[in-house]
Amino acid sequence: MRLWRRKQREHDLDRELSSHLSLEAEEQRELGLSSEDARYAAQRAFGNTTLVKEDVRATWGWTWLETIANDLRYATRMLRKNPAFTGAAVLTSALGIGATTAIFSVCDAVLLKPLPYSDPGHIVMLWEQPPRGETLGPVAPANFVDWREQSRSFSEIAAMDPKPTFVLTGQGEPARLTGAGVSPNLFSLLGTRITLGRDFLEDEDRPGRDRVAILSYRTWLHRLGGQPDILGRSVALNDISYTVVGVLPREFEFVAKASDFQARNQFDVWVPLALDLEKLQRNTHPLRVFARLKPDVPLAQAQADLNVVAANLARRYPETNKGSGITAVPLIQQVTTNVRMALGTLLGAVGLMLLIACANVANLLLSRAAARRKEMALRVALGASRRRLGQQLLTESVLLAIAGGSMGLFLASAAIRAVSPHVPADLPRASGIAVDARVLVFTGLISLATGILFGLAPMFQAQRANANEALKQNARIASGTQSRMRSGLVVGQMAIALVLLIGAGLMARSFWTLLHVSPGFRTEHILTARLSLSGSRYPDARRIAAFQRELLERVRNTPGVQSAGLAAYLPLSGTDNGWGFVIEGRPALRTGEYNLAKYRPVSPGYFETIGIPLLRGREFISADNEDAPLVVVINESMARRYWGQGNPVTERLQFGPPIWRTVIGVVGDVRHEGLDAEARPELYVPFAQAPNNEARTTIVVRTALDPIVVTTALRKTVSAIDPAVPLDQVETMEELVSASVGQPRFRTALLAVFSILALVIASIGVYGVMNYLVIQRTREFGIRLAVGATEGDVLRLVLGRAAALIVAGLCLGLLGSVVLARLIASLLYGVTPLDSLTFAAVSLLLSAVALFASYIPARRATRIDPTVALRYE
Amino acid sequence: MQGTLDMLILRTLRTSRAHGHQIAKHLQRTTDDVLQVEHGSLYPALHRLERKGWVAAKWELAASDSKRELKYYRLTAAGRRQLLAEASRWKQMANAIARVMWPVEGS
Repeated sequence: MRLWRRKQREHDLDRELSSHLSLEAEEQRELGLSSEDARYAAQRAFGNTTLVKEDVRATWGWTWLETIANDLRYATRMLRKNPAFTGAAVLTSALGIGATTAIFSVCDAVLLKPLPYSDPGHIVMLWEQPPRGETLGPVAPANFVDWREQSRSFSEIAAMDPKPTFVLTGQGEPARLTGAGVSPNLFSLLGTRITLGRDFLEDEDRPGRDRVAILSYRTWLHRLGGQPDILGRSVALNDISYTVVGVLPREFEFVAKASDFQARNQFDVWVPLALDLEKLQRNTHPLRVFARLKPDVPLAQAQADLNVVAANLARRYPETNKGSGITAVPLIQQVTTNVRMALGTLLGAVGLMLLIACANVANLLLSRAAARRKEMALRVALGASRRRLGQQLLTESVLLAIAGGSMGLFLASAAIRAVSPHVPADLPRASGIAVDARVLVFTGLISLATGILFGLAPMFQAQRANANEALKQNARIASGTQSRMRSGLVVGQMAIALVLLIGAGLMARSFWTLLHVSPGFRTEHILTARLSLSGSRYPDARRIAAFQRELLERVRNTPGVQSAGLAAYLPLSGTDNGWGFVIEGRPALRTGEYNLAKYRPVSPGYFETIGIPLLRGREFISADNEDAPLVVVINESMARRYWGQGNPVTERLQFGPPIWRTVIGVVGDVRHEGLDAEARPELYVPFAQAPNNEARTTIVVRTALDPIVVTTALRKTVSAIDPAVPLDQVETMEELVSASVGQPRFRTALLAVFSILALVIASIGVYGVMNYLVIQRTREFGIRLAVGATEGDVLRLVLGRAAALIVAGLCLGLLGSVVLARLIASLLYGVTPLDSLTFAAVSLLLSAVALFASYIPARRATRIDPTVALRYE
Repeated sequence: MQGTLDMLILRTLRTSRAHGHQIAKHLQRTTDDVLQVEHGSLYPALHRLERKGWVAAKWELAASDSKRELKYYRLTAAGRRQLLAEASRWKQMANAIARVMWPVEGS
């Protein structure tokens, strides 16, 4: 209807204007002009008919829509007519936008999306801040109870005690479940509703009433049949019967880190914490504490409140709490703290790459704008306003960007699919990485911004177009401003590419260094697997030691096994423990101060199996059992720190119960927490003499056989001794090492890909500009060659121009790198941010590639045939 | 000068209907060619006035030539009011300018 009316109006207008013209022509004829002259005179008096029509249409309203539709139609036609140009521009912007979209979707899922809890911004974690230690630590039960009573800033406080070892029996194969004891209000604090059944009750948080369990959806479905009649049934966990009261929703995700990072975020079963209020401890620190800020309390106020509480407790319990603080950390920050920097760097890197891509498209558009100068000038001459022309050009570039964006979106989702298997396992919330509505909006905005950004250059050009000159001029000769702008773009591209390459180079060197760090133990031909001994079947060290002895005996006799040993905390496994200790004969430390060493129960044969060298004394033997004198082995760092050049062997020390233990040997340091972590003082004890029971241990087997073969034998052996002992997390030491460097590998690989793409795009940019220069100066080169210049002269001329651009880019890029490299210092290992080798090598690489890109057009310049060149336009 | 052109068009239509060419000629003649406007620029103004409801347009047979249909514009009631308002505003303005430019001397 509307369209029809529009056509009618259009027709009306034509009729009206032509009747005016014919009336005027008639009048002129009557004045004696020839009919042709009369027509011209009428038209002259009338003015520009097309312009008048446009102005009239403008009075009809909603023409802007029509204008856009027209512009779009025209732009589509233009782009379709130049497939090579369009393809290059779309592909370049697709690469930039695609990479940016992919990284944004990672950042969005990991950092930006709200946590899956109600009002997650108000949830914080509370940590103990030890007197001297810089790292925040988990919380002693007595402190938790005091915080809950004394603080005023929180509507709820709940604690959680991760229990990595819940052995589920009576449901087929014994299975180890990861569990946690939690305050009954934890789920309501998080805002999670139990799908099936109910939450814990307040009075189930008491010893004796606490034999109830809530299951994760996964456990319910895969281990316990997934039937609703699970409620009220009992399950055997560590040989204790628990009644199932609820099942968590399928989408429930626990994002706080578990103590054991391989089990991170995968809690299978939840039981009440049930602290015994009569026997609260203040010197063991197992709890993770969560709190919800009251609606009107800002974090700073809550922190001030906690400081008062900490001061009170320090006064009251100086032995344990002196100098100790409490720190509240927002949950989202807690979850993302380790990856924020790395992801920020990646996002910055793709942003830079996008800029390079934009510069390339801008360059393409500029060279096309040069070819279109006549067209533009003609349109100006015919009455198109500059604004109108600018709008047209902008429509074209935005259309290009949107095409690039759509293709980029496609590239991004392909990239995410390709990359997601390689996402490091310890990247939090990685499962949420996807191209979703938020990412779509982001890509749309980025594409628009990109289109406007690279459309600005030709628009700026068009604004300055001078109709008269352009029409007279040779279309191929560009104005000075244009080539300055293009050169500027190339210099910028070079500079940004250099920054990216240097970043990637530093990361790569750092990663290389990391991979070549000696971890202090053997990584080849080592198979590891976790065993879980439930506390009820193995209540004391004696029973555990007996099991271990039998197991080791049998495993060592398995064909193909060279040696075997056990450790409670395997290096690079993410498990750890520490104790305070005192050395005999040393002056007592002040209250609240203690020497800290990492605590490592191991079996005889462990050092030999994993290849930790013995430096002094002897290692554990099977005679160091529960009845023998207590012995310890310390590592090199501990010996150096506490005995300096002296000999620690035969010295005595104490930790845990007040019994003296004799140092019998010193072994080499290992990188326990990560390849990039400094070794800490470590204190090894035989399992048989460990002061507490270690239910979960890792068996380490040295074998030249295929790990699968050995695993089967191992399972059989364990099952033959006790069928209720589950064996899981079977991994080779090489896999553990590889997993431990997952994050640096991921970011190094991504940065390398981005910087190489940037290098390629920037080189194409250099090629384009030099190519353009050669075309532009074809006649000049032809003349030069004709009057006796050698090919070398021309080559030097072109390459000299390229070199000037490249050097300018390098200088700018080096300057930028010096500033930006410092920002990523925290991500580097064993290489300084201003590593001169990296800077030099990368600059060389970039210059070589860019020069090569310029060599191709330069070579063509030398082959110009003077006779052809002189006739050239 | 857009508003001025509008006012002149409205004034031209005060007594009788007219088509675009007539209006153009009338303006040209009565101002002794002082107001040199391109004929074309009349039409956006006419269509704007029509949209505002100050003039109404209709295709009618030409008075001089009964075989030709032309688009005739005539003043509406609203257009008449607008013309009065514009004219008095213009008069005030002209007087004000005149007082500044040629002050009454002596007295």
